[in-house]
Amino acid sequence: MAEATPVQIFHMEEKRRQYRSGGFFLKVGLLALFVLVPFLFPSFKTVDLAMQIIIFATLVASFDILLGYTGILSFGHGMFFGIGAYCVAFLVGKYGTPSYANLALGFVIAALVASVLALVISFLSLRVKAIFFAMITLALAELAIVLATKLSGFTGGEDGISLNMPGVLAVSFNAGNFLGLEITGRILTYYFILLACLGLFLAMLRFTHSPLGRVLQAIRDNVERAEALGYKTFVFQAISITFGCVVAALVGGLYGMWVGYVNPESCLGVLSIMLAILLMCIIGGMGTLYGGIVGAAFFMITETFLPDLQHLAKDFFPSAVLLHNVLERWHLVLGVLFILVVIFFPKGIIGSVREFIDRRK
Amino acid sequence: MEEERSVNDAILKVEKAHTFIGQHHILQGISFESKADAVTVLIGRNGAGKSTALRTVIGLLPPSEGKIFFKGEEIQKKKPYEIARMGIGFVPENMGIFAGLTVEENMRVAMLVEDEATTQRLERALDMFADLRKFWKGKAGNLSGGQKQMLAIARAIVNDTSLLLIDEPSKGLAPIIVDAVIEAINQIKDHSVVVLVEQNFYMASSVGDYFYIMDDGMVVHGGIMEELVHDEGLKSKYLGISKTGD
Repeated sequence: MAEATPVQIFHMEEKRRQYRSGGFFLKVGLLALFVLVPFLFPSFKTVDLAMQIIIFATLVASFDILLGYTGILSFGHGMFFGIGAYCVAFLVGKYGTPSYANLALGFVIAALVASVLALVISFLSLRVKAIFFAMITLALAELAIVLATKLSGFTGGEDGISLNMPGVLAVSFNAGNFLGLEITGRILTYYFILLACLGLFLAMLRFTHSPLGRVLQAIRDNVERAEALGYKTFVFQAISITFGCVVAALVGGLYGMWVGYVNPESCLGVLSIMLAILLMCIIGGMGTLYGGIVGAAFFMITETFLPDLQHLAKDFFPSAVLLHNVLERWHLVLGVLFILVVIFFPKGIIGSVREFIDRRK
Repeated sequence: MEEERSVNDAILKVEKAHTFIGQHHILQGISFESKADAVTVLIGRNGAGKSTALRTVIGLLPPSEGKIFFKGEEIQKKKPYEIARMGIGFVPENMGIFAGLTVEENMRVAMLVEDEATTQRLERALDMFADLRKFWKGKAGNLSGGQKQMLAIARAIVNDTSLLLIDEPSKGLAPIIVDAVIEAINQIKDHSVVVLVEQNFYMASSVGDYFYIMDDGMVVHGGIMEELVHDEGLKSKYLGISKTGD
């Protein structure tokens, strides 16, 4: 057997160190927290918040593959998310009976539709300039909302479509009590989605840490140079876009399963969904994947609890009228918080923390 | 006789190449060749078209007219990635480092295949540039100018390249680093043919076997480097170098 080279030895040591690092334990701890949320905080609001964080963290990570890892700005990511949600809703709601086969088929169709559409958009726009990709996806996202609203006979229009989950995932399912927690269809759906999102997240990590992921980052940093190294950059960009969009569609399907209802505004909205994805990605840190978790947690927690602050302010500071007025307009506070994050964490929270740790090394 | 001819044959031949950048006619019918087992230097003042000549060869600025042959095959209509995969390495003027990647990732991206031979070339490159091993897991964007240049060269030689195009490797580097780059190029020329664009005459004359002087997008002179070193008139006229002032 050939002796290992210094580079190979370095690599083996690095792998061994990886499983003893603080970062590894932090990730395991975070996963354990999400697993335990229904047991520790069984209220509807907290479980729903945890689920929204999990879903959006995965969605933002898929967006990060495009923006952070490939340097491509897409305004159509929300559209792919919506396509996934609608595909599943069609199969277990409007056009199909609630069965596991229909549910699985909904996800397969979502992945197929997303991959074909992403490839078509890539071929139409990437050969010219990356900015055209942003413009075309924005136009298509708007078109998708119009179609979903106007084709009401097919899509349910603004009224949307309700989803009915099969078997153990149905709202009516109840398997009794386990360690003080009522095992309902909703709790099982929570764990199903958590597992699916974990699988998708691991797949994205594998993707970005593969040789292909390295090439994508090289393309992001310097397209011309990557081409002069021997890479057909357009093909790599198309693969990245397709992968990211398919993941977004699958996450959309999971979102539909959780909320049990899809309509154009909640699943396709450029402002409601796309802007949130972009903000979460910037807040968490582009090109990190884990930034999606931090960004989604920051955004969801502030959006959920900021409106409650006005009640707290009224209880604790009844005469502070200015404070009441400010907290009533909690979107303004959210905007200020966002500006502060951008100022103090210019590379996003994860990006800036990593930079700080790198500098200390 | 056969052996002698193969040594003297040009591995790269550029014939009357015209290149435009936008509406600007930069290369105006340049011709030059690079012989096997030799370092050919394109030398000239700023704006003479030297860098454009290299970018034309690698396909980043395809010529509007003229022909380019690599190992006897026409390449002027090929895409940069196709040309690179034929065995031409390119080290651009700005080094083209992938700043967001680590030194290791930069090297691995450059490795088009990860076989035994490439691994050996990687080790050779890291032996040549010890700093790269030292900062192996560090972000390439945090390296110094000299280290970035070393990384750029190492990246270009990690594949089985038979021709290496290097654009102004001494630009912005301290003299001691320039000497290290000269030493590296002298080692590289044992394994592949080098075409070098350089303004620094000390460096050009230290590594070059042949030269072409470029001026206003044209090749105005060419020959053996040894002759240019002693030709004060030519140096003064095209390179602005005088005997007392260089």
